[in-house]
Amino acid sequence: MRTLITGATGFLGRHVVNAAMAQGQTVRALVRPATCIERLAWPSGVEVHRADLRTTRLAELTAAFEGVDTVIHLAAGVTGDDDARFVTTVVGTERLLEAMRNSATRRLVLASSFSVYDWHVGHRVLTEASPQVTERLYQRDGYTIAKVWQERVTRRTCAAEGWDLTILRPGAIWGDRNLYLPDLGQPVGRWHFVIGPMRRLPLTYVEHCADAFARAAACGETVGHSYNLMDKHRISTWHYAGAVLQRLGGGRRIPVPYHLGLLLAYAATAFSRLLFGRNGKLPSILVPCRYVARFTPGRCDTSAARRDLKWRPTFSFTEAMKRACHNRHDAAKPTS
Amino acid sequence: MSERPIQAVVIGAGAIARQHLGCLQGLHEVEIAGICDLSPAVAESMAERYGLNCSFTDHTRMLDDVRPDVVHITTPPATHFPLAMDAIACGAHVIVEKPITRTLEELATLQRLAAAKNCHIVEDHNYLYNTPVRRMLDLVRTGELGTVVHVDATICLNLLEPGGRYMDHNAPHPCLGLPGGALADFATHLASLAWLFVGPHQSVHTTWSKTTDSPLPAEDVHAVIGAERGTATLAFSTRAQPDLFRVRLEGTRMRVEADLFEPRFVTERLHGGPRPLIPFRNGLARARAEHRAAIGGLWRKFSGGPGAYEGLWALLAAVYAAIRNGSPPPVSEEQVLGVNALVAELTRQVSSSEYACAP
Repeated sequence: MRTLITGATGFLGRHVVNAAMAQGQTVRALVRPATCIERLAWPSGVEVHRADLRTTRLAELTAAFEGVDTVIHLAAGVTGDDDARFVTTVVGTERLLEAMRNSATRRLVLASSFSVYDWHVGHRVLTEASPQVTERLYQRDGYTIAKVWQERVTRRTCAAEGWDLTILRPGAIWGDRNLYLPDLGQPVGRWHFVIGPMRRLPLTYVEHCADAFARAAACGETVGHSYNLMDKHRISTWHYAGAVLQRLGGGRRIPVPYHLGLLLAYAATAFSRLLFGRNGKLPSILVPCRYVARFTPGRCDTSAARRDLKWRPTFSFTEAMKRACHNRHDAAKPTS
Repeated sequence: MSERPIQAVVIGAGAIARQHLGCLQGLHEVEIAGICDLSPAVAESMAERYGLNCSFTDHTRMLDDVRPDVVHITTPPATHFPLAMDAIACGAHVIVEKPITRTLEELATLQRLAAAKNCHIVEDHNYLYNTPVRRMLDLVRTGELGTVVHVDATICLNLLEPGGRYMDHNAPHPCLGLPGGALADFATHLASLAWLFVGPHQSVHTTWSKTTDSPLPAEDVHAVIGAERGTATLAFSTRAQPDLFRVRLEGTRMRVEADLFEPRFVTERLHGGPRPLIPFRNGLARARAEHRAAIGGLWRKFSGGPGAYEGLWALLAAVYAAIRNGSPPPVSEEQVLGVNALVAELTRQVSSSEYACAP
């Protein structure tokens, strides 16, 4: 089975390449023309196809699909302003699907996110059937807008073409290159305001997440379904912030109760409305719908992923943290 | 036209289109009748965001279906000419983002067609409509500034920041394909200020440098302009920080300095009374102005308005008022031609190693 992986050199992608290879899949990594891959230490046998989803000619993109059974689509914009992220994520997806239309490949696994859910509806337990954000979409951050549109575009095209689609929605993916998470709160110099210190973080360790993607690509039972991915261990925001700051060189944690922070966000919004009407602008953390989406405590049901994908996150939090720090240390070593 | 709202459409749904749409939504008797982008998702999302009924991926279909009165072109520069030709051929007035065309020949062709079709073609010279520049013009018109001697315009933007839109080796910024590279994206702003205050250029001397392996052909550019009514120095730096768009106007009675990215407006003038007290009084006035600018800048960021794009909103309002009244557009044909002649000379010199200087 040959799997094409987009975003293969990204934080998640490089682990998905390893996971898919470990499961016996033949991996073709889509790598942008100017990206250096020498330091990635991928297993030999990874096929590299150089292309950029935004700019490469369609014929060259289509060539990447030759002999491919399944596509794992991870590529998304992580730098630049909201418009640049939208173009990279959504237009890149449109072009990928256009190229796929000219190929014989009929199976796609899409990386989405918890951010596509409407966190204002007050989930007791987040499930794959929980409503997605619609009405307040354009009040949310650029990442969310791009991910919602990426799902829309992919679902529409797959439905129209009769392709097999599986969507995986991981929680906060953490690991070697991404230890400090926006879900923690707000850093100000060496002070870290930890919001909702006792709430459980929706953590997904990157190697666990990568394993789920590799399994989804190989598992026909997942077609037509979406899956939330979250590790089983209950790690509080306070605990995680402490563990990460210890490894990143310290800093002081300041606890901010979730509801106090939310009250501040509503107060700032009311003040802004009073002064500037509906046009007022606030820092993202003080926009209530963004605050709620980022910090709402909640539980997530991942039983579907465990049942259908036979997904069993293997490392404890402590083991995962050790591996993340070890990999981080390795990544920082200069190459000869 | 007075019986129905002016029908406006926008071709290109990127970041600058959001400024155009935001402004159009606030204009009376203007209806946004369509938005077009090559990407269906980009067009549709922009239509959804602004509550528009229809989006298109083919501009010719939009022009045929909507028959707009005004077409805004906010696409990459290389596409401006063919899109503007199509829009004018449909009898629409056209507002084009800068730089309006890649060459002066294309601009002349557009202007000829627009004249034949009795349409306006307006290039976005937005910074000329920012409040500080309008205040400078008032000082010139009332004679308070005296005779204009010199104008200096400097843009400092950290375009070399990793992850920035000009630094993506995989998807080069559209302007990097134009003569002058990134300068082509900003030269219109500089040239329009020179044209406004000292008139058409007569001589241009440019030096430029490049010190890193960035995709930018030139990273810092300095030009000295001799013009009909005075002199100008224009500078563009990707290395000097913090970000700035400074305009300094020097007259025989007064010197004015403004930052068009922030609401900063500082004057130094010849006061009456003992001459040694002039620097003292100017210093106090300067301190007051700097305090006002600091608070005003913060206020502007929280107010959520157009910010540094206030001039674009004012320009668009003026263009629509002219269309409604049947009067000449606020940016004249002569102005567009004069500004682009200077831009062409600046970018030509920046593309030539003859004008390069050692870092």
